[in-house]
Amino acid sequence: MRHLGSFVVISIILIVFGFENSALAYLDPGTGSMVLQLLLGGIAGAVVILKLYWSRFVGLFRGNAREESEHSSSEDQK
Amino acid sequence: MGGVQPLSGSFRDPSGSVYQFEGRIFRTVNGCFSQEFDFVTSTGLFQKMATEGLLLPFEVVSSDVLKLSDPKPQYVLEAPMLPFISYPYEWSFPALKAAALLHLRIHLQSLEVGVTLSDASAYNIQFQGNQPVFIDHLSFRRYQSGEMWVGHRQFCEQFLNPLLLRAFFGISPNAWYRGTQEGITTGEIRRLLKWRHYWKWNVLTHVVLQDLFQKTSTKRTKSLQNHSLAKASFPLSSFKAMLEKMSHWISQLAPLNKGESTWGDYDKTCSYSSMETKSKKQFILEFAQTVQPTLVWDLGCNTGEYSEAALNGGARNVVGFDFDQGALDGSYHRAIERRLSFQALFMDAANPSPNQGWNGLERESLQSRASADAVFALALVHHLAIARNIPLVQVVHWLLTLAPQGVIEFVPKNDPMVQELLSLRQDIFPNYTTEHFMALLKEKAVIIKNETVSKSGRLLVWFKRK
Repeated sequence: MRHLGSFVVISIILIVFGFENSALAYLDPGTGSMVLQLLLGGIAGAVVILKLYWSRFVGLFRGNAREESEHSSSEDQK
Repeated sequence: MGGVQPLSGSFRDPSGSVYQFEGRIFRTVNGCFSQEFDFVTSTGLFQKMATEGLLLPFEVVSSDVLKLSDPKPQYVLEAPMLPFISYPYEWSFPALKAAALLHLRIHLQSLEVGVTLSDASAYNIQFQGNQPVFIDHLSFRRYQSGEMWVGHRQFCEQFLNPLLLRAFFGISPNAWYRGTQEGITTGEIRRLLKWRHYWKWNVLTHVVLQDLFQKTSTKRTKSLQNHSLAKASFPLSSFKAMLEKMSHWISQLAPLNKGESTWGDYDKTCSYSSMETKSKKQFILEFAQTVQPTLVWDLGCNTGEYSEAALNGGARNVVGFDFDQGALDGSYHRAIERRLSFQALFMDAANPSPNQGWNGLERESLQSRASADAVFALALVHHLAIARNIPLVQVVHWLLTLAPQGVIEFVPKNDPMVQELLSLRQDIFPNYTTEHFMALLKEKAVIIKNETVSKSGRLLVWFKRK
């Protein structure tokens, strides 16, 4: 639960200070709604980052495996 | 201050105002908003949505038409006049749900072309028959990269939370909504939640966390947080996903305890024999064929059986009223299934919607929206005169103020329905007789036709106000 809390706070800080924006203020959106949207945006962002790193992480092994197989096949040809 | 004045409910938005002038409806676009309006027009969104029936169509007319001097509006738009204006606190559950889904659909379509909505007011939607239509052309403005859904909180208060009240707890939101006018706050809904609701992701985020963040932010470092929030960014993909998920959630919501309605099954269980129903429908049909009304009010419409008969006879629109949620749900589904220009609204005839809101004039009373050509009060009078102790003379006079003609059904005291109302109480209604009712009606109206439709002596009277 503590980890989840830290994750939420870090996500929010990253997003809040990551970009800048100002919209036409005809309606007060409410702080609760805004923080919630930052959280949702943060989670979505985190998922994208995780996916990206996951594919790199998996790609690392796949790449190694491919290199190894290429290496062994070239050895076979010798 | 001379000249035409904006409608009393049109004061919140500095971008423009709404005017009713010589039986036409106009919306001004002020200079400060004209660039935004030009941009939205250039995207073709207005035209596309109007063609699809999502948005009320409009045309730009001469800005002199309203004879406004200072400040002169940049544009004047004219939109078609709707036969009846209703308010979200009068809508049934399925109608509010349809309006919520329309709002989300419009917002998603807008984002596709770089446009967003500046608010999420349920009052920006009206109904044409059973179909919701968006009416506020000034809610649309340019989307700025990274901006949030500014109307989210308002959407929750005016659409989501009233729907949740009935979906989770089986409570009709109409009286509460009418009381606050702005909907039901997220804090109030959260207090009602049981632990089992917390496990749903949508409830956790849109209700629990939103309220939690709102409350904690008011306690700690508010100014710092607000400063950061004002500069914060929200990815467009997350914005769209939020609208899509909200739409999916709302489309799944259904009322709790559907079976507990008093009147939902009235069509099947009422004391009418099929012959009586048939002759009653025939009477209504004949009335509608003769009068050809543009708008009929059907008070105590139940599931809209006789509203449908009126439409079949040639009435162009019917607005029904009932206080039973089951009857309103049934009416909505009847209108959808049979494509009827029929809208059923929540109303207790003994306590109709008053003038209310800012200055007591922001939202009009039912009485001041009385523009119907005809009124039906079928099997209604005994509910007011006996169940609610309203003197018969007042009931008759009130009905006559609503429309110049119509049909009233008088249910005599020996009828089983009236006997049921009297079964546990003293009969203090010596004047509740067919003769007295007719005498009262004849004082102020001409009787065109009457017909007894049941063995107990139920009487249908077609009247025309003198």
